[in-house]
Amino acid sequence: MTTLRFPLSRIEGHARVEMEVLDGKVVSAQFQAIEMRGFRYFMLGTPAEQMPVIVPRICGVCSTAHHVASVKALEDIFEVEPPQLANDIRELLLLGQLIQNQATSLFIFTMPDRVGASSIFHMDESEADPEQQLSLAQRALKVRQMGTKLITLAGGQFIHPIKAVVGGVTSGIKKEPAEQMLAELQEILPIACTLFDEYWEMSMAMRERIGTWGDDQPAYYIASTGRNRPAFNSQEIRVLGPNGTERASFPPRLFRNYLSYEETEYSYAGQSSYEGQVMRANSLARINLALAMGTPLADGYMQKLNQSFGKPAHPILLFDLCRGIELVYAFERAIEMLSNDLDYEDTAVPYSVKDGEGFGLVEAPRGPLIHHYKVKDGLIEDAEFIIPTTHNMLAIERALKVAGERYVSPQGINLELEKAVGRVVRAFDPCIACATQ
Amino acid sequence: MSSKPSLPRFAVLQLSGCAGCEVSLLNASEWVEQYQLVYMPLVVSTHAVPKDTEILLVSGGVRNDEDIWNLRRSAQIAKKVVAVGTCAISGGVANLGDRDEVRQMFMAQANRHHLPHLLPKSQPIDAFVDVDLYLPGCPPTPELFMAALTGPEDFEASSIVCQECGRKKLKDMRPKHLLGFQQGEVLPDICLINQGYLCVGSSTRGGCRAICTRPGHPCVGCRGPSDAYIEKESQVWFDRVQSVFERLTDIPPEEINEALHSPQLSLFLFQFTDYMNGNRPARPKEKIL
Repeated sequence: MTTLRFPLSRIEGHARVEMEVLDGKVVSAQFQAIEMRGFRYFMLGTPAEQMPVIVPRICGVCSTAHHVASVKALEDIFEVEPPQLANDIRELLLLGQLIQNQATSLFIFTMPDRVGASSIFHMDESEADPEQQLSLAQRALKVRQMGTKLITLAGGQFIHPIKAVVGGVTSGIKKEPAEQMLAELQEILPIACTLFDEYWEMSMAMRERIGTWGDDQPAYYIASTGRNRPAFNSQEIRVLGPNGTERASFPPRLFRNYLSYEETEYSYAGQSSYEGQVMRANSLARINLALAMGTPLADGYMQKLNQSFGKPAHPILLFDLCRGIELVYAFERAIEMLSNDLDYEDTAVPYSVKDGEGFGLVEAPRGPLIHHYKVKDGLIEDAEFIIPTTHNMLAIERALKVAGERYVSPQGINLELEKAVGRVVRAFDPCIACATQ
Repeated sequence: MSSKPSLPRFAVLQLSGCAGCEVSLLNASEWVEQYQLVYMPLVVSTHAVPKDTEILLVSGGVRNDEDIWNLRRSAQIAKKVVAVGTCAISGGVANLGDRDEVRQMFMAQANRHHLPHLLPKSQPIDAFVDVDLYLPGCPPTPELFMAALTGPEDFEASSIVCQECGRKKLKDMRPKHLLGFQQGEVLPDICLINQGYLCVGSSTRGGCRAICTRPGHPCVGCRGPSDAYIEKESQVWFDRVQSVFERLTDIPPEEINEALHSPQLSLFLFQFTDYMNGNRPARPKEKIL
């Protein structure tokens, strides 16, 4: 037996892939998360109200999603309903997160794969024209920064936001900064679209070179997005079958009735499944689960994708294209929201700390995220984090095995395998800091 | 850009952390023109810190044995080592688990046989290697990252967050009790202490430009104590916070004291000296940006 080890880069956190090969066949493929900090342990005994400020530290990439999920879990326990303004600000926060994340995944994590560079900062080492590539890195960072700016505007702090609080938000958004942000988003949106068009072209060229968009079979899809248009400050989780029919919808409180969870000896991250089946979360799941994006440019891209690949679409490299559609959507939706008045008095409702059990759901960029807390005497008695990346673990391993089969034969191992491993993992955009906490 | 050999080379080693520091660094895109990024697994596919690396930024705490190996191997290559963020400076948020009952449960349940072995406590990086510069913040802002890379000596900031905040302190608005951190109503332009929030910006190191307090969230002290308190025992620092509250409020001192020791704050307040256990000397203030 030969064990192939692939260290991974350009993903969030520390992970590696181990593939076992025997007689020219791939016997197994493991995706190993190799770090862990232990939030579910050291949160025990923390005053419940402090969770929304501490839990963003689970992950600096997904911090906003944790911040909002935490607030929603406490609101579930304390039985408070936030006012509309708070929901709007939280949605803007999650849109900022979506811009930041999808731009990072598209341009920093996966674009170098399309041109054979080691990073977006080293694109001039590739065959492409250096001048053009230089402007590409700068444009990509500019698009990405709009996400951070939106998080800062809506959330206060720029990485670990602080403005969502139990019962609402600490403040709205004043007219002047809202208008300024709106103008900037309008200015950068065309740049984002052009970059995405270039990305799409590069992806087509890569598909020509490698001969596939991904060979893996259809799967189940899980997301908490809306039916008619995307939702991120979400209320229910939905599961789609491989043929495109909806199999289940349930509130976060009932997730155990639908999802099972297992741990392994080879990874600090667990794996979840739906009725024993492999499922996929993240961008492709959301695009497959929503009828439309509800904004003009994003709808245009969605139609282009559906016309080329059908609905539901299954090839895994489409995760990347779907991220581009969502990037454009997030810009358009944020522009739409910032055009409305977000500076009125009704920011929060009062509450008192209560004991009990609660669930907070958001659709994070990587899929549905649930925070589940038990509070006793005002302190955290149990904290559970249901992380989107764990929903993708079985799908990642299956896709790795399929990719392995393409490049491993009795004649030998094609060197393209290492690149294929990177492409497969990055298509799912796993977050290891979250998955292991 | 990055292939120009004349540009100084820097590397980013991420140990066990949340990558928030890296995300912040990516927001400081100015370095793209001035530095050559040679190693940063989050964004570059290279698997070791190369020779001739001028500056090594280290984020995250030392949580497992592979972290120790990566840290020591990388630090010996670089000319200058910068500890970035709370986790690299103190072990960070994982220190909330530095309690017997939690540690026992963690060690019994968390370890996996085929993976890097977890340590009982998350450690700061200077427990293993010499550090030339400390860059506190959770995470440090892009501006602070640029200052650390281009010239820490030229960085201009107020000594405390209060001076960068701009909220007015009032003499006649004296709350009798602390409000929780999560109470929604915040009056604009008025000091958060006057409103009953446990804000420690009055003695927390400046340089962040008060990004939390200005939109209305009390300072949790993520940059650690200001120069005046950084080399002193925690009690001096606590007394200072207490005296500010005595001057501006009628909140009983016991209430302040208890809140100062709550997880959200203790996470950051002890980052420069392990005051609670007294087993680590204070870091010299000259080395802290």
